[in-house]
Amino acid sequence: MPQDYIRPSSLEEAMAIKAAKPEAVFLAGGTCLLAGDSRKKPDSLIDVGRILPRGIEHGSRGLVIGAGATFQDLVDSRSVPPALRDAALSMINRNVRNRATVGGNLGAGKSCASLVPLFIVLGARVKVLGPKGPHGALAMEWMAIPRGLLLEVELELKPGTWLAFARHSRTSCDLSVLTCAVAYGLDAEKRLDGLKVALGGLGPHAREFPDLAGFFEGQALPGKAAIEERARTVFSPRTDFRGSAAFKSVRAAALLADALHSAEEIT
Amino acid sequence: MTLHFTLNGRATTWQVEPGMSLRDLLRSKGIVSVRNGCDGEGSCGLCSVILDGKTVNSCQVLAPQAEGVEAFTVEFFSRDRGLSVVQQALIESGCVQCGYCTPAVTLALHKLLDRKSEPGRADIEDALSGILCRCTGYEQFFDAAHLAAARLKDPEHVAHPAPEFRDDLRHVGKCREKVDAPALARGERAYVEDRVPEDALVLKLFASPHARACIKRIDTTKAESMSGVHAVLTYLNTPSRVYTTAGQGFPEPSPYDGRMFSRVMRFAGDRVAAVLAETEAEALAAIAAIDVEFEVLKPILTIEEASAPGASPVHAGQVSYVAGSAPEGRLTTGDPTVYGGEDDPVIYQFPIGGDPSHNLAASTAGGIGDIAKGFAEAEVTIEREYYARRVHCTPLEPHVVLTRMENSRLVIHASTQVPWHLRRIVATAIGAPENKVRVIKERVGGGFGAKQDLCLEDIAGWLTWTTGKTVFFRYTREEEFISARTRHPMKIAVKLGAKRDGKLTAIEFKVRADTGAYGQHALTVPMNACSKSLPLILCDNVHFDVRTYYTNLPASGAYQGYGAPQGSFALQTALAELAAELGMDQLDLLERNRVRSGSRIEILRSLGEGRAGAAVTLGECGLGDMIEGGRKSMAWGKHEAASDPEWRLGPEWKLGPEWKLGKGAVIIQQGSGLPGLDAANALVRLQTDGSFMLLSGGSDLGTGLDTLTVKIVAEVMKVDPKDVAVLSGDTDATPFDKGAYASSGTFFSGNAAKLAAEDLMKRILAVAAGLLEESAADLRVLPGGTIAGKLGKTTSYHEIAHRTSSGEGPGELCGIGSFKTEHAAFPYGAHFAQVAVNGRTGDVVLKRYHVFQDCGTPINPELAMGQIYGGVMKAVGHSLYEEMLFDAEGHCANPNFLDYKIPGIREIPGDFKVVFVPVEDPVGPYGGKSISEIALNGAAPAIAIAIHDACGAWVREWPFTPERVLRALGKL
Repeated sequence: MPQDYIRPSSLEEAMAIKAAKPEAVFLAGGTCLLAGDSRKKPDSLIDVGRILPRGIEHGSRGLVIGAGATFQDLVDSRSVPPALRDAALSMINRNVRNRATVGGNLGAGKSCASLVPLFIVLGARVKVLGPKGPHGALAMEWMAIPRGLLLEVELELKPGTWLAFARHSRTSCDLSVLTCAVAYGLDAEKRLDGLKVALGGLGPHAREFPDLAGFFEGQALPGKAAIEERARTVFSPRTDFRGSAAFKSVRAAALLADALHSAEEIT
Repeated sequence: MTLHFTLNGRATTWQVEPGMSLRDLLRSKGIVSVRNGCDGEGSCGLCSVILDGKTVNSCQVLAPQAEGVEAFTVEFFSRDRGLSVVQQALIESGCVQCGYCTPAVTLALHKLLDRKSEPGRADIEDALSGILCRCTGYEQFFDAAHLAAARLKDPEHVAHPAPEFRDDLRHVGKCREKVDAPALARGERAYVEDRVPEDALVLKLFASPHARACIKRIDTTKAESMSGVHAVLTYLNTPSRVYTTAGQGFPEPSPYDGRMFSRVMRFAGDRVAAVLAETEAEALAAIAAIDVEFEVLKPILTIEEASAPGASPVHAGQVSYVAGSAPEGRLTTGDPTVYGGEDDPVIYQFPIGGDPSHNLAASTAGGIGDIAKGFAEAEVTIEREYYARRVHCTPLEPHVVLTRMENSRLVIHASTQVPWHLRRIVATAIGAPENKVRVIKERVGGGFGAKQDLCLEDIAGWLTWTTGKTVFFRYTREEEFISARTRHPMKIAVKLGAKRDGKLTAIEFKVRADTGAYGQHALTVPMNACSKSLPLILCDNVHFDVRTYYTNLPASGAYQGYGAPQGSFALQTALAELAAELGMDQLDLLERNRVRSGSRIEILRSLGEGRAGAAVTLGECGLGDMIEGGRKSMAWGKHEAASDPEWRLGPEWKLGPEWKLGKGAVIIQQGSGLPGLDAANALVRLQTDGSFMLLSGGSDLGTGLDTLTVKIVAEVMKVDPKDVAVLSGDTDATPFDKGAYASSGTFFSGNAAKLAAEDLMKRILAVAAGLLEESAADLRVLPGGTIAGKLGKTTSYHEIAHRTSSGEGPGELCGIGSFKTEHAAFPYGAHFAQVAVNGRTGDVVLKRYHVFQDCGTPINPELAMGQIYGGVMKAVGHSLYEEMLFDAEGHCANPNFLDYKIPGIREIPGDFKVVFVPVEDPVGPYGGKSISEIALNGAAPAIAIAIHDACGAWVREWPFTPERVLRALGKL
């Protein structure tokens, strides 16, 4: 059980506390950090839930999402593209959506984190508050070593980009077993241009599959069977109680095919 | 630290620990409506509160995070014992069964109606997306939300939650307020955990980390000396007598094969030790300080391993019989080569075909006709094997007990289905006479068969009996999964022989069941797989063979349906496979072979429950009407295409034409209690003001049994149900009842209440006859309780009560009802499913489910519908999602709600319908029969058949996960 709870009134104060107590952990929604009565939790928590930015707004560099925005904020926002709303809604549990934050989802970095595949394929950038002040980074780079306090996520939403999110879960209200996001453009001949593919559930973290995207780059969107045939050879998931490696491989390939064929254009 | 916030409209200041959850804080302050079903996973929603205007799981909010925030719990809506529009709508719509989730649902619907005054189906699904309910099947939540929305616009809006029956009766067959629902909806103290006094000590279990092991050495010295610790129990300081934890009538057809604590660990989760301490933290710290050395042995994890020649026995102690003797050739001396030659004995009350030396807990075989002749006459023969995996009952309230001493007697506040069996078993276990033990059944937060067994009452009872301490013992969700009871996995081999016209000539049914580490219900559950499936089909040559094996997996036990779902899956799917083989319509094959009105059911001769059975001539049977109803409502024979706009009902349709639709149907049956084996009793007392007090032995698990018995008494006495109060399931205050199992509540407990009321009425009329100076035969009872004679004079219940209880009267009037019967009352049903199957992914979506159900007179129509919806959705969960998974060492890999998936509101079919086809039973109370268990028997075979209809693959192992569907399609 945490022994120390501090709720700073400003981001600066939060950073000062963190500097004084490096073992303390930032707390926002708490749906991951506080989950499980018997699970070990940090001794010391710095609650930044009320001071993190949580706006969702179009800015000069695209869509800027405050790290303190909840999943329900994303669902309710009129600014987010349908694929991002789908990803937020993949956290079916409304009670959890009301607390879980964008920053927490990235910070936890779980394999099937709902938002991460989309952020990967959109090349999301983050704004992070560190000991020396705010700085920017690619979201993937920050997630690899999440230091500092995440403030914002920036998404470049170029018109003409086709975007989709898809998932496989056992029941609706389940942690995703597999997640997939795709983003691509179409050239004048309707060939795939700048395809990016990311999947979660196939390893410890969601990740991009550039070679697979590269294989299809420049082609007209292949049929689902062709996509699946190629994709199955690329994935190497682990067998666990959610499914065998063979099943996950087949299912992930189908998910990719479905995502590519259900993508919607950003206008 | 100090917390300032606004709770239910009041400024509140409390001292809190920084790391305490808001859930624990609220409960510690007496806000008991905030419940705990998942131990902080955030997956059950039972701890919902409204915080800062949003519903959240309070288990995942630290108490200090509520600083300065406005919070609401359901107590806000329950002020002054009132009910909000949502609470009232939930009650009227039949949504309050066990009531454990009702406060959370209330909050979610209030917030929804704040957002949307006319919510649609998707809005309601979204609002309730995070709340699990195992009782209701969710469907009536939609009715409640719509009703509440309508009432907000028009407070006079009238609800019609269900069809009503029996125009000749005033209350039976009519929708009336469930008697316990207002208190449960308000979140009042009702469950065991709400009764815990501040001085109660906490009991925690040290569960075996090994599936099979012997304790070589155990040292509890350090643990015993630790702060706050009052007692440490192991096999060294607890009684050595063996008993069964199965709450069955005595003598039980279950082996006595477990002691309170043993030296031998038979499954991962078995009892190593238990610690009684002042706090949970102290108990857990003491458990960690117990020094134990195990000799770890190779576990037996499958039926095949258990039944293999030379398999090491799970139980290696001496075997004995209280009555009768071991079948010839079976070893009773135990196996001295196992567990160092020291294992606990196994005692059978009478022979049930057990042979523990060969891991056989029980066995039986029987049949009718000449099976060889039947197959010789067949023109088509098929053989198939079906496999039902281990699933868990998952009541949202886990097993829980509070024990205390009062006046030198042990008082057990229990969440149980069987108060009297519990008393007997605990009394035996602790060596006390039954009159020294009182069991008070509190409201039960879900039973489903799991609470027909004792899991923790014996330990708590022993500690209180020996130390005098008040003991509180509640399983965690993980302990509930591992150490409570599960459904028997079964492999059932079915061989069918038939003529080309579909007439069956032979049925062979081989059941191989896994009872896990202990043998509770080892005979009767697998036997029920036969006795609730084979009698549906008329065939002259039938043979069944049942064998139940011990393994080193968690103990199996009773689960709603009690083996019938597994048997139904095997037989009904095999019949559909036979129809496919013959090129017949599945329903035509069922019509060719099913029981019907007046059928002589010979197979029941060989299907007694541990005793000789008897053939039965069936009275009226409604199966024909049910099948016809389903043919019409499901447009049987019409093959819809997934591309048809009518079927584009969900988001999966946008994915493409690989979705195929298919339909399946089954006929099902159950019983209504155990004729000749069980009994129920009730008393009805006339109170001095003319109202009535019903003392029912029956155990209401949230099913509406108390409401049913109240209605019956009100019907007999011609008064309003509000004039009848009920107390039930208290072994001191109410008479004996067998308990809530075997679908016996309506038939047995209902009839006992009716007999008691009728007995009281006779006594009242005798007194009235004296008062009015007329013959009792000439008296009429008018609605409301006025008794009129022929000569114009009247009296009333009030006057009679006053006269009889005064100094000059004959004494308080009390009616006694005792019910037992040899009559078997079978409810029947026909279930129809339509699924969409994705041939690329193996995904299965249940689109439509139509139930045609006979429960005799539906005495509580809206609650009966809820029972059916809930039963179906449990079976849908078992069919599509649920399965306990184990690693190679026998550890459960998914003992939590995040990983063991029970259906949520989004899993229910978009078109979910219940149609009653009542066939009144001549012995049932006002024609009533059972309702709850039968609803679980249809989904698995109906869905399996529908999957085949959709994609051509037979999936013979449930749950039908996408992976299994793809394997059946040959795509993996």
